[in-house]
Amino acid sequence: MGGTNIELIGWVPALPLIGFLVQALLGKRIVDFFGERFGKKLMGTLAVLPVFAAFVLAAGIGMTLSEMGPLANNQVVTYFDWIRISGLHVPYEIVVDPLSITMALVVTGVGALIHLYATGYMAEERDYTRFFTYMNLFIGAMLILVLGNNLALMFIGWEGVGLCSYLLIGFWYKDLANAKAANKAFIVNRIGDWGFMLGMFTIVAFIATNAERISPRTDRLLSFDAILPALTTLLHDHPAIATVIGLLLFVGAMGKSAQFPLYLWLPDAMAGPTPVSALIHAATMVTAGVVMVNRMHVVFEFSPVASGWVAIVGCVTAIFAALVAFGQTDIKKVLAYSTVSQLGYMFVACGVGAYWAGMFHVVTHAFFKALLFLGSGAVIHAMAHEQDMRWYGNLRKYVPITWLTMTIGWLAIIGFPYLFAGFYSKEAIIGGALGNHHAELFGAPVGVYTGWLLLFGALLTSAYMTRLTFLTFNSGAERWMNPATYEEAGTDHHPHDDHAHAHRHHAHHGEDAHGFFYTEEEMARREALAPHDHHHGLTVEHRPREVSPSMWVPLAVLAALSTGVTGYLMHHGETFKHWLYPPTTYNETGLSMIRNEPVVHAEALTGHPHGWVGSALVFLSVGAMLIGAIYGYLVYFRRLPAREGFDLKRWSGFRRAAREQFYYDGFMLKFFVTQGGAAVGNVLAGMDKYVVDGVVNACGWLASGLGGFFRQFQTGYVRAYALVMLIGGVALLVYFATVGQGVAR
Amino acid sequence: MYNLLAQTDGNGLAKRLAEAFPPPTIDWPSILPIALVVCTGIVALIVEMLRPRQNNNAIIGFSLVGLFFAGLSLTSQFASPDLESFGGMVLRDRFSLTIQLLVVMVTGLTILFSDGYLRAKRIPFGEFYPLVLWSASGAMMMASSKNLLMIFLGIEVLSISLYVLAGMSKTETKSEESALKYFLLGAFASAFLLYGIAFMYGATGSLHLDAIRSAWNPNDEAFRNMMLFGMGLMLFGLAFKAAFVPFHQWTPDVYQGAPTNVTAFMAAGSKIGAMAALWRLLSASTTNVDLGATFQSYWMPALFWIAILTMTVGNLVALVQKDVKRTLGYSSIAHAGYILVGILAHVNNPEKVGIGTTVFYLLSYSLMTIGAFAVVSLTAKNGKEGTRFEDLHGLWKRSPFAVGCLIVFVASLIGIPPTSGFFGKLMIFNDALASDLMPLAIVLAVNSVLSVYYYVGIAKAAFVDAEGARTPESAPMNLGLAATCLLCAGGIFAVVILFNPLMNWLVGAP
Repeated sequence: MGGTNIELIGWVPALPLIGFLVQALLGKRIVDFFGERFGKKLMGTLAVLPVFAAFVLAAGIGMTLSEMGPLANNQVVTYFDWIRISGLHVPYEIVVDPLSITMALVVTGVGALIHLYATGYMAEERDYTRFFTYMNLFIGAMLILVLGNNLALMFIGWEGVGLCSYLLIGFWYKDLANAKAANKAFIVNRIGDWGFMLGMFTIVAFIATNAERISPRTDRLLSFDAILPALTTLLHDHPAIATVIGLLLFVGAMGKSAQFPLYLWLPDAMAGPTPVSALIHAATMVTAGVVMVNRMHVVFEFSPVASGWVAIVGCVTAIFAALVAFGQTDIKKVLAYSTVSQLGYMFVACGVGAYWAGMFHVVTHAFFKALLFLGSGAVIHAMAHEQDMRWYGNLRKYVPITWLTMTIGWLAIIGFPYLFAGFYSKEAIIGGALGNHHAELFGAPVGVYTGWLLLFGALLTSAYMTRLTFLTFNSGAERWMNPATYEEAGTDHHPHDDHAHAHRHHAHHGEDAHGFFYTEEEMARREALAPHDHHHGLTVEHRPREVSPSMWVPLAVLAALSTGVTGYLMHHGETFKHWLYPPTTYNETGLSMIRNEPVVHAEALTGHPHGWVGSALVFLSVGAMLIGAIYGYLVYFRRLPAREGFDLKRWSGFRRAAREQFYYDGFMLKFFVTQGGAAVGNVLAGMDKYVVDGVVNACGWLASGLGGFFRQFQTGYVRAYALVMLIGGVALLVYFATVGQGVAR
Repeated sequence: MYNLLAQTDGNGLAKRLAEAFPPPTIDWPSILPIALVVCTGIVALIVEMLRPRQNNNAIIGFSLVGLFFAGLSLTSQFASPDLESFGGMVLRDRFSLTIQLLVVMVTGLTILFSDGYLRAKRIPFGEFYPLVLWSASGAMMMASSKNLLMIFLGIEVLSISLYVLAGMSKTETKSEESALKYFLLGAFASAFLLYGIAFMYGATGSLHLDAIRSAWNPNDEAFRNMMLFGMGLMLFGLAFKAAFVPFHQWTPDVYQGAPTNVTAFMAAGSKIGAMAALWRLLSASTTNVDLGATFQSYWMPALFWIAILTMTVGNLVALVQKDVKRTLGYSSIAHAGYILVGILAHVNNPEKVGIGTTVFYLLSYSLMTIGAFAVVSLTAKNGKEGTRFEDLHGLWKRSPFAVGCLIVFVASLIGIPPTSGFFGKLMIFNDALASDLMPLAIVLAVNSVLSVYYYVGIAKAAFVDAEGARTPESAPMNLGLAATCLLCAGGIFAVVILFNPLMNWLVGAP
C-alpha cells in the first residue's frame, strides 16, 4: 500500500464520478431489468463500491505521502489544461499534501460508511438510484473541492457540493417544506459564493497587478502552489489587502459552513433524508469552509483583524446555536444546531491561528456527528419516521445497538475526558484560543475571550446532548404507547393520526399558486396509487425493532472511530498537528521551508496556554462537561419534564424563544421576505410600472410615432418620391456649395 | 501589319502611330468572368427557346454551371497582380474580384430558389434567368472599373434588366406598378448621375477616377465648385441605387411589388454593385491635406448625415410596417446605412481601417437577406402571394426547416452572436470608433436595438398558429429553396467560423 503511485490521485475523484454516471445513466434501467429487489441491491453495491475504492486508493496515497517526509509532502499532479488565456492559466491539477489527503480520507471513508448505511435506510425508496446518483456526484464534487490545486477547481467543487446539497435536501421534492428548505439553502449559499468569488478575484487582481514583485513569474494565478508563496511575499506590505481577501473568503466560508448570520439554511436542510444530513450537512460539506481557511491560512496569518472576526463569528455561532438547541424537540434539529455550534468551534480555532486544531475537530466531528446522525436516523427508522423526541423514551430496550453506539457518540461530542475523540479536539481548540495572541480587534485579544466563551459552550453542549440522549433512550416511559398521558390542551401533535400530521404539513399545497406542488387531494390520490414510503404512522401498538446490519455496521465502525483511540493516536505526540504543519519545516523567521508560508504565531500551534490556565485547562473543560451532563441527568433521565412537554404554553420563556431561534429566523423572514420584501417589491413594482415601463413605452411610442411620421411621406406617388429626391439632391448640392468642409481632415 | 511596316522603315508611320496612339493593353482574363456571365445569359435564352414546355431545369443547370465557371475564373485570378487593361476601362484588383464573386454567389443563390417560387406564382418564364444573369453582369461591371462611363454603363445594364424583372408578374398590378416606379425614378436618378459625370469630365478632362483624384485643387474656386457640383450629382445617382435616405422611397414599393426572388436579387446584388461603385468614387475623392482643404472635407459631413438619416429612418419606418416584404425593404435601407458607415470609416482613415469590414458585411448581408426573402417566398401558392405578417402564420407547422432557417436569418439581421450579422455590425462599430466617427457608431448601436422589434415580429409571425379558416396558402418546400436556405444559414455561421482564412483570401490582409 505504501508504494501507491501518487499520480493515481486523479482516480480518487474520478471513481465516484464514474459511479455517478453509472447511477444516472443506467440506474433506472438496471433496476427495471433485474427487478426491484435484486436491482436495488445491485445498484446499492455499485454506489458504495467506487467510494470505497476511492478510500482505499486515497489511503494508499496517504501512506506514500507520509513516507515522503515533511519536506517533500506537497505534490501537485497536473492532468490537462482547463483554461489557458493570455496571462491566466488554470490547469486541472490535484494537490497531494497532508491537508488534501486528510480530507479525502474523511470524505471517502465516512462517505463509504454512509453510502452503506443508505443502502439500508433508503431501501424502500422508489427513487433509489436517483438518490445514489446525487450521493456519488456529491462525493466526486467534494473530492474535487478538497483535492483541487487551485481556487477555480475548489470553486467548481464548492458549487458542485452546493448543487448536490440542494438536490438532496429537496429529494422528496413534492413536499413543499422540503422544496422550500432546498431553495433556502441554495439562496443563502449564494451570499457565501459572492464572497468567495470576490475573494478569488481580489487575489487574482492583486497578484496580477504586482506580478513583477514575485519570482518566479507565473500565470497560474489561482493555483495554490503558485499563489501561496506569492501572497506571502506580497501581503507582507499590504495587511489591508490581507484583511479584505480574508474577510471575503470568510464570507464564502460562512455561507457553506453555516456560520451566524448565514446559518439559517442548515437546520432546515435536515428536511432531506438522514444519510444526507449525516454526510453532507454534518460530516463533510459544511466543513468545506474550514478546509478553505486552512488552505488559505497565509492570508489570515497576515491579518489579525480578519482572524479576529473569524474567531468572533465562530464563537457567536457556537454559543447561539447551542442555546437554540435547548428549545428543539425534533431529534434531527437538535443535531443540526449542534452541528452549527461545532462548526463555530472549528472557526474559532482557525481565527486564533490554531488551524490544525480546526482540522482536527473537522475529523473527529466527522466521525461522531456522522455517528449521531446515523444513529438518529436508525431511531427515526425504528420509530416509523417520528422525529419528535417527546414521543420517544426507553428506546434502549428496543434498539440496543443503536443505543450503545449513540451513547459513544454522545460521550464523544460532550468531550468525555481521555476515552473519547471529541475531548482531544475540543481541548485543542479551547487551549489554542486561550493561549492565543493572533486574533486581535481594536487592540483587544479577542482570541482569549472566545476561549473562555467556548468553555461555557462546552457546558451547553454537554447539557443539550445529554438531554437528547436521555429523552430518547431513557426518561422512564415509552411515551408513544400512552398518548393520553401526554395529550393536553394545545397538544403539538398526535401519534395516532400521522396522516393528519403529514397532511397538515401539506396543507400549504393548496395555497401554492405556482402549480408545481400537488394539492392535498392530488397528494392523497398519488399516495393511494403509489404509497409514499416517507410517511409511516407511529401508532400506539408500534414496537421498534433494531435496524438491519447494513445500517448498524456503519454505526459500529463510526463508534469505534469516535472513541479515544482515534483521538489519542492523533493527539499523542501531536501527530496530527505535525502531519499538517510539520514543526521541523519552520525556520527561525517563522517561514515554512516547504511552502514558504509564514507561521506568524507559531506558538498558536502549540495548542496550550501558559501559566495556571494551561495547567488547569483539563479541569476547567471536564468541569464544564460534568456540570452540563449532571444537569441533563437530573432533569431528563427519569422523565420528560412537564415544562418541556407537548403544551408549549407551559414551556419557560427561554425555551420558547430558543425554539424560535430567538426569533432570528422569523425576523429575517419578515424583514427580507415578507414585509421588507413586500415593501421593496412595492417600490420596485412602482418603479417598474411608472418609470421603467414609462420610459420603455415612451421609446416605443416615440419610435413608432416617428415611423408613422416618416411614413406619411410614403404616399405611393412617383411624383412625390421624385420631389423628395429632388429636395434631397438640392440640399446636398447647396450643402456642398455653401457649408461643406466641416469634418476633420 | 504594324510589324511589317516597322521592318521596312524604322522611323516609319506605324511607329509614330503607335507612339501617338499606344495600343491598349488587352487582358482577356480580366473580363472573362463578366463575359462568361453574359454569354451564359445568351445561352440560357437559346435554351429557353428550345426547352420543352415550361420546364426550366435545363436553363437553371446552364446558368448555375456558367456562374460556377465565372466564379472559378474569378478565384483563379486572386493571385494575379492588379492590372488595368482595355485602356483603363477594366480594372482587376482584389476588391473588384471579391465584389464580383459576391455578385456571382448572390445570383446563384437567387436562381437556386427561383424555380419553385415562379411556378407557385404561375409565372415560370424562362426569361427570368438570362435577365438576372445580365443584371448581374452589370453589377460586376460596376465593381471592375475606375472609369466613370463604365460604372454608369454597369448601373444601366443592372437597372434595365431589373426594371423588366420587377414587372415580370404581368397579371399583378402591384408588380407592374413597381416596375414603372422603379423605371421612372431610376431614369431620374441616372440622369443626375450622368450629369454629374459630365461635370467631372468638364472639370478634369478625364473620366478616370485617378485623374479626378489628382486634379483636385481647393484653391481654384471655379474648378472646385464644378467638381463639387459633379460630386453632388453623382452621389445623388448612387444614393438612389444604394437606397440612402432621402433617395430611398422607391425601395419599399418596388420591393413589395416585384416578385420575391427579384426582390432578393435587388436587395443583395444591386446593393453590392452600388456599394462597390460608391466605394470606388469616394476613395478616389479623398485627397491629401497638403493641398489645403481636402476633397472629403466637403462631402464627408453630407454623407455623415445621410448615414444617420438612412439608419434611423429605415428602422423607424420599418417599425410600423405590416407587410413582410416592405419591412425587409426598410431593413435593407437601414443596412445600407450601416454599410455606408463602414465605407465612411474606411475612407476617413484608410491607414487604420481597411475595406475588409465592408466586404464582410456585404457578404453577410447578402446571405441573410436572400435567405429571408427565400423563406418569405414560401407564402406564394396558386398564383397568389400574401406577404402580410398574417400570411406567415402557421408556417412553423408547414415548413419547420424553413422557419428554423428564418430564425437564423432574423438573428443575424438583428445581430445576435454568433451569427455573422453580429460580427459585421461589431466590426463596423469598431471601425467607426477607430476613425473618429463616434456619433455614427452610437447611432448604429441605437438602431440595432430599434430593429430588434420588427425583426422579432417577423420570426414571431411564423410561429403564431394560423386561425382556422384563414390558413394562408403556401408553396410546398422544394429542393432548390431548401438548398438556398441551408446554404445561407450555413454560410452565416461558416463565415464566422472561417473568418480569418476567408478574409485573408477575400481582401488579402486581415
